Amino acid sequence: MPESSRNTPKSVDPGRLRLDGDQASTGALLGMRCLDCGISVFGQAVFCQACSSARLEPVDLSRTGTLYSYTIVRVPPEGWPGPVPYVLGEVELPEGPHILAEVIDVAHDALRIGMEVRLALEEVQSGDSGPVFSVYKWAPATESTLGTGEV
Amino acid sequence: MFQFKPGREVVVVGVGLHPFGRFRGKDLASLAREAVVEALKDCAVKWRDIQVAYFGHVYYHGMSVGETALASLGLTGIPIINVENACSSGSTAFWQAYWGITTGMFDVALAFGAEKVPGGPVTVTAADSPDRYIGGDHMMAGYALRMRRYMEETGAPASALAQVTVKARQNAALNPYAHRKDTFTVEDVLNSRPIADPLTLYQCCPTSEGSAAAVLCAREALGRYGLDESRAIRVVAAALTSGNYNGRGSDHSAFSPYRTEPAAVQAYEMSGLGPEDVDLVQVHDAATIGELQQVEALQLFPKGEAWRATVEGRTALTGDLPVNTDGGLLAMGHPFGATGIRMVHETITQLRGEAGPRQVSNARVGMAQCSGAGDVTTVQIFAR
Ligand SMILES: [Zn+2]
Repeated sequence: MPESSRNTPKSVDPGRLRLDGDQASTGALLGMRCLDCGISVFGQAVFCQACSSARLEPVDLSRTGTLYSYTIVRVPPEGWPGPVPYVLGEVELPEGPHILAEVIDVAHDALRIGMEVRLALEEVQSGDSGPVFSVYKWAPATESTLGTGEV
Repeated sequence: MFQFKPGREVVVVGVGLHPFGRFRGKDLASLAREAVVEALKDCAVKWRDIQVAYFGHVYYHGMSVGETALASLGLTGIPIINVENACSSGSTAFWQAYWGITTGMFDVALAFGAEKVPGGPVTVTAADSPDRYIGGDHMMAGYALRMRRYMEETGAPASALAQVTVKARQNAALNPYAHRKDTFTVEDVLNSRPIADPLTLYQCCPTSEGSAAAVLCAREALGRYGLDESRAIRVVAAALTSGNYNGRGSDHSAFSPYRTEPAAVQAYEMSGLGPEDVDLVQVHDAATIGELQQVEALQLFPKGEAWRATVEGRTALTGDLPVNTDGGLLAMGHPFGATGIRMVHETITQLRGEAGPRQVSNARVGMAQCSGAGDVTTVQIFAR
């Protein structure tokens, strides 16, 4: 794959998100599982964060989780490329890790702590000419919480 | 579980503060120097008797700002060490000064910190980090996530959180050094501009400029340096922890007060004191929710009960456990590198009985807790 190709989707962080094939919209969150104590962490690790074991195996993390908490961010950090306000969710995976990312396709008044969400990948560009990355986000696992009808 | 063994008893002999606020035209080194001069004057220590200096700051203002700040006091050749540990930079500098003395390396040490925090939402990662695309690196959004979860779990109403700001402003109104001195009602706080729901502007600390300094000495060496024992306050614990595993993983923005718990346990163990001995406390209230969760993590109130204690006035200056007596980060302001030492300054001032209109009666034991982005917590306990 030539690096200059603007059509090849790029993961926002290859250590945390793997894209499958040439698809910007399909892939998996990456983690490491400890073969000694069984815990999983999000992203890369050299030793286990809980027991310091070196026996870690790379794993794909769950594609669904529950919303542990959320906030509607009205004053974004510098460099935020998306629309404002945006919903930031803290999602708990069945394996344990909490993952912060934008929650999309949901009306603000439909947000609930404990709701089921699923992984959703979206291409995001910074400005009109900035780099494009495929970014991991969360979306409601069921369609009843759709706010706009867009999927 | 405490892996370090304190040796000699350490006391704080001098403290100094530069007002917190905005000081355009005053560079970081000048800002820092003014607090140091105040601290030196406070204890009448001779500059040439200072044997080491630790300087906490975060944002880049050129190299070796600590050295620049101290150069005009005299080039005595002492080690001067610049410390960056996020919002705990100042309290980390203090921790280093404490351990340098208790282990016998030095008799007299200076810890100081200063900052000129830029305006706007504070982020942890560099500007080109992937986290800017992901949207999770936003300090106040992180607090908002904790706040919503806390409200859901404890039933705390929004007004209880707003009361933390109301109290902070009341305390700051009695403090000439504070960045924000005007007082608010609960309604003012709730109706201020939303930042990250349910956090409103007045529930977030200002980004500030300012500096603070402390001079520490081995108690057994006080006489050798001509230092006054009557105003010296004992440091009975100085703990620092980083990155305790909590089962949720390493996402830097998902920080939470669980990191305070092991530091508190260490501090209690080191001092031989317990939560019931603490007369007043300064905690890391970068947002209202921070104060509630930190005092709970320090075991000063049961889990989920700090909001009720706040509403009942128990954490006010006249309450049974006054919290953030100088206005805290919320109203005193938050110049990162200075904040941890500002907490030391307030605690020492209270334990000396020199806090004027905001003096807590019968204050004998004071605690200070400072958090640094994501991973750092410091806890100190001081006793008269
Ligand atoms: Zn393990």
